[in-house]
Amino acid sequence: MKMNRKLSWALLFGVAITFSQCKDSGEEVKPDEENELITSVVLTFIEQGTSNVTSFVYKDADGDGGNAPSRFDTVALKPNTTYTMTTEFLDESKTPVSDITEEISEESDEHLLIYTPSPATLLTYTYGDADVNKFPIGLTGKAVTGAKGIGKLKVQLRHQPGAKNGKPEPGSDDVNLDFNLKIQ
Amino acid sequence: MARIIFSLLLFLSFGFSFAQKPDCSCFVKGVVRDKHTSQPIAGATLLIVGQNNGVFTDENGRYELQNLCPGSYTLECRIIGYNSFQHKLDLTAGHEENFNLQEQEVHLKDVEITAHRTDAPSSQPLSTISGSDLEKTRGQTLGESLKGLSGVTVLQTGSSISKPIIHGLHSNRVLIMNNGVRQEGQQWGSEHAPEIDPFIATRLSVVKGAAGVRYGSDAIGGVILVEPEELPFDRSITGEVNAVGFSNGREGVLSGTVQSGVKKFKGFGWRAQGTIKRGGNIRTPNYFLDNTGISEKNFSLAAGYRNKGFGIDLFYSRFDTRIGIFSGSHIGSVTDLLNVIKNGEPFVKAGFSYDIGRPNQNVTHDLIKLESHYHFQNGNRLQWTIARQLNDRNEFDLHRPRNDSLAALNHPELTFKLTTLTNDVVWDHKPILGKIAGQLGVSTLYQYNLMNGRPLIPNFNQFNIGVFWMERYVKDRWELEAGIRYDYRTLKTHRIVNREKVSQDFNFSNFSGTLGATRNFSERFSGKLNVGTAWRAPNVSELFSDGVHHGAAAYEKGDATLQPEKAINTIASLKYAYARWSVELGGYYNFISDFIYLKPQPEPVLTIRGAFPYFKYTQTDAAFKGIDLSASWEFTRHTTLSSKLSYLRVYDRKNDSYLVMIPPNRLDNQIKYELPDLGNWHQVYVSVGNLFVAQQKRVPPKSDFLAPPKSYSIWNVQAGTTIKVSEKQQFEVGLSVQNLFNTVYRDYLNRFRYYADEMGLNASLRLKWKFGA
Repeated sequence: MKMNRKLSWALLFGVAITFSQCKDSGEEVKPDEENELITSVVLTFIEQGTSNVTSFVYKDADGDGGNAPSRFDTVALKPNTTYTMTTEFLDESKTPVSDITEEISEESDEHLLIYTPSPATLLTYTYGDADVNKFPIGLTGKAVTGAKGIGKLKVQLRHQPGAKNGKPEPGSDDVNLDFNLKIQ
Repeated sequence: MARIIFSLLLFLSFGFSFAQKPDCSCFVKGVVRDKHTSQPIAGATLLIVGQNNGVFTDENGRYELQNLCPGSYTLECRIIGYNSFQHKLDLTAGHEENFNLQEQEVHLKDVEITAHRTDAPSSQPLSTISGSDLEKTRGQTLGESLKGLSGVTVLQTGSSISKPIIHGLHSNRVLIMNNGVRQEGQQWGSEHAPEIDPFIATRLSVVKGAAGVRYGSDAIGGVILVEPEELPFDRSITGEVNAVGFSNGREGVLSGTVQSGVKKFKGFGWRAQGTIKRGGNIRTPNYFLDNTGISEKNFSLAAGYRNKGFGIDLFYSRFDTRIGIFSGSHIGSVTDLLNVIKNGEPFVKAGFSYDIGRPNQNVTHDLIKLESHYHFQNGNRLQWTIARQLNDRNEFDLHRPRNDSLAALNHPELTFKLTTLTNDVVWDHKPILGKIAGQLGVSTLYQYNLMNGRPLIPNFNQFNIGVFWMERYVKDRWELEAGIRYDYRTLKTHRIVNREKVSQDFNFSNFSGTLGATRNFSERFSGKLNVGTAWRAPNVSELFSDGVHHGAAAYEKGDATLQPEKAINTIASLKYAYARWSVELGGYYNFISDFIYLKPQPEPVLTIRGAFPYFKYTQTDAAFKGIDLSASWEFTRHTTLSSKLSYLRVYDRKNDSYLVMIPPNRLDNQIKYELPDLGNWHQVYVSVGNLFVAQQKRVPPKSDFLAPPKSYSIWNVQAGTTIKVSEKQQFEVGLSVQNLFNTVYRDYLNRFRYYADEMGLNASLRLKWKFGA
């Protein structure tokens, strides 16, 4: 029985150790600063030969979930007009707001932007930039509008690490938005 | 806790000694002991099945059955507080080696029976894999090892992550008892496999149906028991080395165990065990799957001491895995998913490689357990188990952050650290009038979760206390049992909403009950009926999910007002065993009120990656009805046909609809031919098997991107033998080929069925070297 008693003490000691490590998980909860989010997309159109600048925005400042997107503009452009088009991506969930456009530009050989109007006659897009491998990027380009009409403009940011070949298939969508498009 | 279920291990300690002349003076004698404490069990009943003679063990646990004629018998042992057990005796096959002059005139068999205590209700069906059946599954994951049992299927994410499903229920609805301790990982996730190395176990058992009384909340679908061998107290050194190679994934598994008593320290025993696993890309019949390698390193240490009625066991195990997730399963938007489905095969092409890159999971699970018990002289018994588990899960997304300084850190996008402390005290009262046995217990659980990275589930602290009481009454051919339990749980969650900390409190409490009867109609025929209840509090992901589940291309939203779900499970089974026939038929009806599921919502949710179908955690009443049938027939000498059928229908009673992700019906057939012993070669066998899985046609409309896959039928062949090198050494060799014809198929319960086919042909070679007495 002496042995048993010793072992019982060892047991109690064990319990003491195990339970002394309890902690409150509430003290450790903190906002996520490391994960990158794209919360906003800004499409900027500069009418060629003028200084007319118009911007159209999708914005969901807290990312997926939580609050619904606060802005999803209709892209309204003039018919038969040539625009210089630039696209920006922001992470507005962080303070200060972090500009993802720069990161995309630095890693342009892993990214491809695709603009798909439907019906296709509404707008013609021509890439105005290229990466080190001479494949297009799509951060700047030329957009030529067609006749009056309404439809959609799909904006996709394809993330294609190690697989970019100028085609849309490789990789996956980081952005996939259907803006309403109005040519008037 | 859980000194688990029925297991009667047999030691044929005296060998066989026979004379040629048939007379009726054979006898069988032996001792019945508690496997865990080595204490003799008095009052156990031993019967020869088919005859009316039965005997009881004396106060030293001894029994003797006399005047048996040579022949084949089934010895049945029944003990209150333990499950009944049958053992086949062959008193005809002559072995001359142990021929003993003094025993010349008798046919003698000395059978020592050591019985594991049983905790699960004995009226509930229990299926066990052990011995050679378990050997055949060596090298596979826990989930895969269990899927040979009727009523058990697996939920897969690719081919490396598999979770067991019992009667259509999985994840948080199935409880896993690892060496007597509730396994606590991030079980809510369908891609979170149990963090257990099956090599620690010599028995894997499944209790089917709700078993909330003995095991506590969550045991709605059933309980899986992972049980190691008892420590080798005062025995000499023994061990085994297992080596398994698989052609698919070019995977190798090496596992070793050494165990012994200590000469100078009476009553002491120890064991050390370790496993290494390494595999590369899996191949489907037509292509490799990129980044599907696995690397695993596990070990466990155990030591124990026994002195008279007192015993103490210390156990430590570490599970450490790194699993590559098929990179072609990463999608950003619904368009991406539809494109892969349309393409029919993955866009990502790969060759063979052992490299594990992103996306991947790195998981470690540490368990330390201390168990002690004391057998009082008067028959009472007290057992106390404390355990601490740390589950550390790190998940890496396919893409690193674009920001170079963040990318350089190479941090996982998701980290969960779950710490669990469990404490169980069980009191077994001494049998009353030799007919009523029972136990009372208290269980507590304290748990906290720390989460980092992409917001997914909150941090939480959880405390649970449960008290239970069970009694069992045995009389003649009847065995009745009843039990009740009360649980109380508090949950405090902490999460960040709009950069502010939000804390919430939840309280849940519930009663569970069990009522059951076992009736032996005759020696060949018995029946069981059990009504059991269990409940489950909503888990944190059901309460707080809010975002896109990328594997499923669905927007999932939790609901903080969810209530616990409650199951009432009625389960009946009939068993017939005689001569060359063995049939077991079970039927169940599991009614789960407030069943928590993801309900499709009419409007999609808009995100920056486009619109996703919207699912919300909702409660309904679900009915799970099913049949498990298993039968075996030795239709000629040495050749056995065995069949298993699992049939399940699930209905959403509130919405008059079906539910998603319900296992389709399946039929498994096997023909096994066992050769007579060839010199040193024993248990030589070859077998051919076929698995037919039907198409799941009972699915709710418009709830999925792709209809459930078509039915499939796959073949396998197996062969094996045991080679006895010497008294103390033996080799076991096993060969098997799964998916023999390299059939192309997809399984409804594989979450990667949208992206790729199932694994193609997989041949494996298994070697086991066993040494020591």
